Amino acid sequence: METLPHILVVDDDREIRDLLAKFLERQRLRVTTARDGKEARRAFANGHFQLVVLDLMLPGESGLDLARWFRAETKVPIIMLTAMGEETDRIIGLELGADDYVSKPFNPRELLARIRAVLRRTGDSEDRAAEHIKTYSFSGWELETARRRLADPNGVEVSITGGEYDLLVALLERPNRVLTRDMLLDLLRGRQAGPFDRAIDVAVSRLRRKLEDDGRNAQLIKTVRGGGYVLSTPVERR
Amino acid sequence: MKICLTPKSLAGRTIFILLVGFALVQLLGLLIHTLNQINLERIEEERDIATRAAIIYRHIALADPQDRAALVAKEALPKGDTLTLNPFPPVLDTDYDLPLPARQILRASLFSYSIPPEIRPRGLLLMGTGIPTHIVISFGMPDDETTFFNRILPRNLPPLPPDLLPPPSAWLTLTSPMVPPAPWRSPGFASAFIVMTVLGAFMIFWAVRTLLIPVRTLALAAERLGRDVTNAPPLPETGPIEIVTAAIAFNTMAARIRRFVEDRTFLLTAIGHDLRTPITRLKLRAEYMEDDEQRTKMLADLDEMEAMVAATLAFGRDITTSEAITRLDLASLLRTILDDAADGAPDTAETLAYTGPDHLPIQARPLALKRALANLITNAQKYGDAARITLHPPAQGQTRIDIEDSGPGIPTTETESVFEPFHRLETSRNRETGGSGLGLSIARNIIRAHGGDITLTNLPERGLRVTVTLPV
Repeated sequence: METLPHILVVDDDREIRDLLAKFLERQRLRVTTARDGKEARRAFANGHFQLVVLDLMLPGESGLDLARWFRAETKVPIIMLTAMGEETDRIIGLELGADDYVSKPFNPRELLARIRAVLRRTGDSEDRAAEHIKTYSFSGWELETARRRLADPNGVEVSITGGEYDLLVALLERPNRVLTRDMLLDLLRGRQAGPFDRAIDVAVSRLRRKLEDDGRNAQLIKTVRGGGYVLSTPVERR
Repeated sequence: MKICLTPKSLAGRTIFILLVGFALVQLLGLLIHTLNQINLERIEEERDIATRAAIIYRHIALADPQDRAALVAKEALPKGDTLTLNPFPPVLDTDYDLPLPARQILRASLFSYSIPPEIRPRGLLLMGTGIPTHIVISFGMPDDETTFFNRILPRNLPPLPPDLLPPPSAWLTLTSPMVPPAPWRSPGFASAFIVMTVLGAFMIFWAVRTLLIPVRTLALAAERLGRDVTNAPPLPETGPIEIVTAAIAFNTMAARIRRFVEDRTFLLTAIGHDLRTPITRLKLRAEYMEDDEQRTKMLADLDEMEAMVAATLAFGRDITTSEAITRLDLASLLRTILDDAADGAPDTAETLAYTGPDHLPIQARPLALKRALANLITNAQKYGDAARITLHPPAQGQTRIDIEDSGPGIPTTETESVFEPFHRLETSRNRETGGSGLGLSIARNIIRAHGGDITLTNLPERGLRVTVTLPV
């Protein structure tokens, strides 16, 4: 029997826990639930989990403290449920090492997509999950992952869309490697990227404009003949 | 046309009033001084002339009557004086009576100079003539017989009254011009006056400016409080008693407003937070609905509810949170919002356009500013079927963003009220267009907290223009 990915859901509302567990189990995931930090630790000690869905608004011990504990103890990926619009919680969570976040009230399907994306990202190599990158530097530019903040060589913040951010991270993760449109589509599926090749091209051209990278004579994101893109610059990770 | 002479500012007015008063007082002082000076100079001069006349008379009267004419001709006189010896008293066309004080001074001065009784004048005329004023003093000369009479009379008797004697045979007349009074002759006086005036005016300027600084501070503080209730700094409670009282009252008022806003915000936020759990449950439950169409609709309803709650939360939070200010590229921010809008509704992509520079760094709070501009652009897209953005290069420290749509615009009477929380135009108050009625309020709160402003104008043909100004 194949092993289904095992998910730990930590939320203080029993209805949400049960409904979410039922929903995720229907999507071929194994789910254990916990109502607070104590239960979560106990469950974690007794099982092997591939991912934790963690509500930051917990009674007693706060979700952020629990996330900190998880990070200190393990390399298990974390998806946070944040109160919507609470940017500070989200940023602290991401800085602590959470892998993604969904703001509450969330759409179950979106949560599922994020779970899948994180599992795919972390599944191929165990090490990657451990290596939590906070900042990428390339050609004077800096990308802060927690705040999703891109700053140009002068330190001026240049805003990018969610799709552009995902694309940029995908490229920064694999510098000097050719990524075909299919690979990029696959990597970006967690987001609601359009299902067409065109979407990738549009996203790349937008990103080039933001990076002041002239499309016809691109220096950073080069077009590869035969359908693909490559980030041709050294990337420093911190 | 009415010319406004009174200055607009309180400082200007106070200075104006004080300067006018000060000038009046100075002028009055000057006038009193001048009148006094003129009087003194006149008395001095009259005394002078009288003494001179007495000396001359004594000199002439002591001489023998036949030698007198020669002496008169030889007499050394100051410039302007004339001395005559005539058989008759002078007749002047313009003669007028000297004022009594002048007469008394002349008389007293004439007789303070010792004249022996035997040569007392037999007549004395004191007159003044027109302008320039001359003083004319005429003495009836004593002749031998009067001298004789006077000589034989006992010393203790008064001299014979003139009407008992024949009229004098000669009259000695001194005509002396009065130097016109010059009260400002002393150079120290003018400079003292000027120095006093300048110093006084300077003191007035300085004192009024200093005293009125707190008023300006108060106005600025009120302005800041109006723009950003949460972050406005309190007024310093220092200075004169009245200012301290005003500052304390202002700070108390600001604290009350802040508490009121915080209470309201807390209420909104609490409701928003409490709604999260049921909405999440409903979204999960919707997954168990068999009917696909109904499920989609239910999820759409829930999304709408969520959007309203999110807007309410955003409205509450904008007032309380203070995101750090960083340098950000406004051009790329606008492009990102447009791209997101285009991704959300790909079929409307052609109606979205950006014109302006590729980069424009400004100081701002990135998330807040993005929310504000996204609200405006979404409005244009939703109610105006288009969003054409023009970013103007900075001028006078401000940059301007115009967001134009192709919609019906809004009634001119509503251009201000649409910014009120939960205010919606009648046309948009239906489920199709939805909206929480908070988008514009949030946007304006944020833009004003950045030191900018938002205004709405209808375009001449069709559509609405939202103008956002931001300091660069």
